[in-house]
Amino acid sequence: MKRGAICTLWMTFLLTGLPLQAQDNLLMKALRDEMGRTMERLQLEEMDRPYYVAYWVRESEGRSRTAILGGLLGRGRGSGNRSLSVELRVGDHDLDNTNFTDFGRLRSRVVREGFPVSLPLRDDYKELRRQIWLATDGAYKQAVHSLAKKRASLQNKTRVEEIPDFSREEPVEYRDEGDMASLPAEARVEETVQELSALFKGMPQVFDSRVSAGQSRVRIYFINSEGSSYIRNFSSASIQALAATQAADGTHLEDFVVARGRQWKDLPDQAELEARIRAMAERLGGLREAGFVERYNGPVLFEGQAAAELVSQILAPRLLALRPPVADNPIFGRFGSGSRNPFLEKLGSRVLPRFLSVIDDPTAGSHGEAPLLGGYEVDEEGVRSRRTTVVQRGILKTLLATRTPVSGVSNSTGNRRNARPSPSNLFLVSRNGLKQEEISRELLDLVEERGLDFGIVVRRIGSPDMRLSRERGFFFAMPGEEERPRLRPLTEAYKVFPDGREELIRKAVILGLSASSFREIAAASEALTPHHTTMRLPMMNPFSSIGFMGPPPIISLVVPSLLFEDLALRRPPGDIPRPPLLASPLSQPRVREPAGR
Amino acid sequence: MRLPHRGLLFPTLLAAASMLAGHPVRGATPVLDAMKEELQRSVETLSKQPTPLYFLSYEVTGNRRYSVRASFGNITGSSEGENAVVDVDLRVGSPELDNTHSIRGDRLSNFPRFAYQQTPLEDPEALRSILWRRTDQQYKAAVEQLAKVKANVRVKVEEEDQAGDFSAEPAQEWLEEPLPLDFDRSPWEEKLRRYTAPFSGYGHIYSANATLSANVETRWYVNSEGSEIRTSQSYYRLMIMAYTKAEDGMELPRYESFFSFTPEGLPDDSRILETVQEMIADLQALRKAPLVDPYTGPAILSGRASGVFFHEILGHRVEGHRQKREEEGQTFKKMVNQKVLPETFSVIFDPTVRRRESMDLVGAYRYDNQGVKARRVPVIENGVLKNFLMSRTPIEGFSRSNGHGRKQAGLAAVARQSNLFVEVTRSHSREELKAMLIDRLKQEDKPFGLYFKDVQGGFTFTGRTTPNMFNVLPVMVYRIYPDGREELVRGVDLIGTPLTAFSKITAADDQFESFNGICGAESGGVPVSAVSPAVLVSQIEVQKKEKSVERLPILSPPWESP
Repeated sequence: MKRGAICTLWMTFLLTGLPLQAQDNLLMKALRDEMGRTMERLQLEEMDRPYYVAYWVRESEGRSRTAILGGLLGRGRGSGNRSLSVELRVGDHDLDNTNFTDFGRLRSRVVREGFPVSLPLRDDYKELRRQIWLATDGAYKQAVHSLAKKRASLQNKTRVEEIPDFSREEPVEYRDEGDMASLPAEARVEETVQELSALFKGMPQVFDSRVSAGQSRVRIYFINSEGSSYIRNFSSASIQALAATQAADGTHLEDFVVARGRQWKDLPDQAELEARIRAMAERLGGLREAGFVERYNGPVLFEGQAAAELVSQILAPRLLALRPPVADNPIFGRFGSGSRNPFLEKLGSRVLPRFLSVIDDPTAGSHGEAPLLGGYEVDEEGVRSRRTTVVQRGILKTLLATRTPVSGVSNSTGNRRNARPSPSNLFLVSRNGLKQEEISRELLDLVEERGLDFGIVVRRIGSPDMRLSRERGFFFAMPGEEERPRLRPLTEAYKVFPDGREELIRKAVILGLSASSFREIAAASEALTPHHTTMRLPMMNPFSSIGFMGPPPIISLVVPSLLFEDLALRRPPGDIPRPPLLASPLSQPRVREPAGR
Repeated sequence: MRLPHRGLLFPTLLAAASMLAGHPVRGATPVLDAMKEELQRSVETLSKQPTPLYFLSYEVTGNRRYSVRASFGNITGSSEGENAVVDVDLRVGSPELDNTHSIRGDRLSNFPRFAYQQTPLEDPEALRSILWRRTDQQYKAAVEQLAKVKANVRVKVEEEDQAGDFSAEPAQEWLEEPLPLDFDRSPWEEKLRRYTAPFSGYGHIYSANATLSANVETRWYVNSEGSEIRTSQSYYRLMIMAYTKAEDGMELPRYESFFSFTPEGLPDDSRILETVQEMIADLQALRKAPLVDPYTGPAILSGRASGVFFHEILGHRVEGHRQKREEEGQTFKKMVNQKVLPETFSVIFDPTVRRRESMDLVGAYRYDNQGVKARRVPVIENGVLKNFLMSRTPIEGFSRSNGHGRKQAGLAAVARQSNLFVEVTRSHSREELKAMLIDRLKQEDKPFGLYFKDVQGGFTFTGRTTPNMFNVLPVMVYRIYPDGREELVRGVDLIGTPLTAFSKITAADDQFESFNGICGAESGGVPVSAVSPAVLVSQIEVQKKEKSVERLPILSPPWESP
């Protein structure tokens, strides 16, 4: 199973050209040799020796472009890069240097730790060893330092529950035998984004737009001191078009089209993408004219993409075994405690209605005809992937975990992706699912029962990664922040009247929605929609990141339509910016311009 | 501003090079035309709004770049790319009081805002569309800001400096042909491997990198006063950096950097390989060099060290807008026409000089980022302070720009340095300077003086809320003993306060050296140069350098104990 980490923000200047068919033997040998020396001899007097070391070497390259209105937004090409990350543990499985927020990090330019180290692009054994040696040295010094501080800060606390810091797992050896996926020609990618973005020239009612496309591929070499090792290839391609406008009153409206695949050739053809972009522009046009719903309390039906984004944004983050770290400083420690997952307390409890179950399955390759993109054979820390039933008939059975245990989940479920637990292919399945007509009928029955004029059906929701806005900002969990993941505004929702008539709503938000709201799901459909998205979690502990951080992993969701009995819908809060004072220059008569600059 | 002004200056030694002259050309100008059209359209509508716009300028900065990076004889990265960024300067109100006026007592609102907006260049409609969105956003923000400015002016005490917010300047027209940049990375990959390979033999050199970057920056500028400018400049820079560590944990870096406007201007391989050998020898010597304790006494600053010294203590303090902002220290504001240096010393800023002492000067430009023509500005003449570096922000007594409004793309221009020249009417030989230092040692009964041979950069604080000190970060420092002996030492930074330091500058030699570097302040990183002879300072102070407490690597290098 191959998949790649896709880049959305990284799109513009990813580089190409690295010969990725590198001789892995010499690199693996360098890693093994330095690891042997480390386990045998690396020790400061009277300090702990490492009990676990893992190395990742990540070779990545990509080809991607962004264009606005037919013009390329920069160009870039070059060698890919090759970097090393080290995870080193001192102490023992029960208590080691991890799961601890250490704010007094080492300050050194020579001894680097915590950050990937750039490696020679060619296999120069001596120089690979030099870099691995220095990176390991830095990681070891940091580890003994952190463990000492952690022991000190635990001295004065009675730990309510002793949870080991690191789980024991079976060693795994895995080699991805497949070749690296080929990258699309640069000219092909450029043409694609230029042609697709030029469509917006004929749409002066769209104020901002951009189209990005590309493919990245990554090979990861991994070994750890327990005898696990793997070499995995990932590849991932995407095309995305983002568009924004304002209604006459200034309301900001935004939508997107995204297509994802493992490789460029898996992506839809130009004609289909054009059609999807035109449909999006039409949706935006419709939203400009549509009216608001000021206030609505009642049943809401989420269909297709909307149901999948809802699960991805609200429920899925709760299914992860994220462990709040011990902090060396009570003030900063709040950064960690804010991200405590309430589902940690709900193992064995009912979190969904009885007819719903949740399964994470990285071994699944497709759903019917549709390929799934979240799968893999071994996870990032070399744990074999497996199917995990997370929620069975409404009862929370486990959480998706890495080798960092949490209370009630003592072993990895093979879900470490990008240094943290993450779903792979997440299935929400319903027993006795309803047919489309039945669930629509059910909605209207609830509307009638409540004596409402209309019900709400939601077909599209904004995605956190698909935004044109300027507010990219920080990605740290502020105290309390992660307690309630918020749903992005609804981008396509309708009032449904008892006679079945539908009326588009301009823009709306859902208030007070949390993972516990999912218990109140009234019905689910039989038909399931596959959907690919990325899940961006706030960095829980920016000061103790281990392993490497790459672009957020892609998860595939397979989700039915979901009918909630009672949700609160509102017009988006806050002030509305004024619409532009001048008309778009695209609405002016056009003149042909000469070439050159 | 409480921002430290970091001047990372790197020494430059260059072989002969030819200059690229800009020839005004009148050809197709689609980028400028698109900018002009959108500018006109915006001015027409926005100058009729209830809060009318009175000035608008667009600047597009296009950058084509190549870069190769190597470490210990191996390539670690090699890439090329291009991009373009749009900047809009939009003013509402009047030149006397506009939206850019500093809001007193509110640091947050004066904090520089970084607005990095990329744009396509090939497609005029795309460029216009981006300018349109940007202008609209900035106009709305400017109207809001002007209201805050007016309220602030009413509720606060009268401002000390009553000068307006924007100077009148003549429209400019200048069109250079955009330079092509055809650069082949592969021969440079080979070169950089060779330059960094010699470091590979040393287990105690923990990092050794070389980076070659070649880029062409083309700028297109139009404003509502009728200016129309297109300039294009190429830059080639080679940097070599290596670190070692002393037994006590101190990290000891050594930098070399070479700059030229042309690829031929960079030194040849044998020169660079010689430099690499010197760096290796210096690093080995530094590991064994004794530490210096905090000390005050006489010192010689090499031309490069002196350049950074003047950049920090004088340069940042004669940037015009700092004489106006009430949170600034304003060291020199009231010293115009007063003697601040010995009368043999003059300091001139001159962006029109592209080359001096057989070195290209990176601080050269033809027009600043506000469309004002670059010119020579004598700041200190025969020891007397005469002028400030001016952007289009007037200050009392200096109502016009002198072409020093500079910025990095995405930020607002303020007065910044260009090429700094320290000139002396009376110079000594290096031996004489050393003899003068030794005389002082004897007079003052000091055990030794210091010689700062090479520096990596420096920084200074110009605000009122922090001590107004400067810090020069030396790399190679020697003790000079009364018997003339020189000994390499380590572990100190050169510190001081501006007026005291200035009063101690005594004499200069005839060995001019130049620095090319990137200076950072509130308007971002801008390329600057400093050219100076070595100077004798009768008293300097050194403080201990910040030091890592990390031990040397625990295991010996893998090839020594596999």
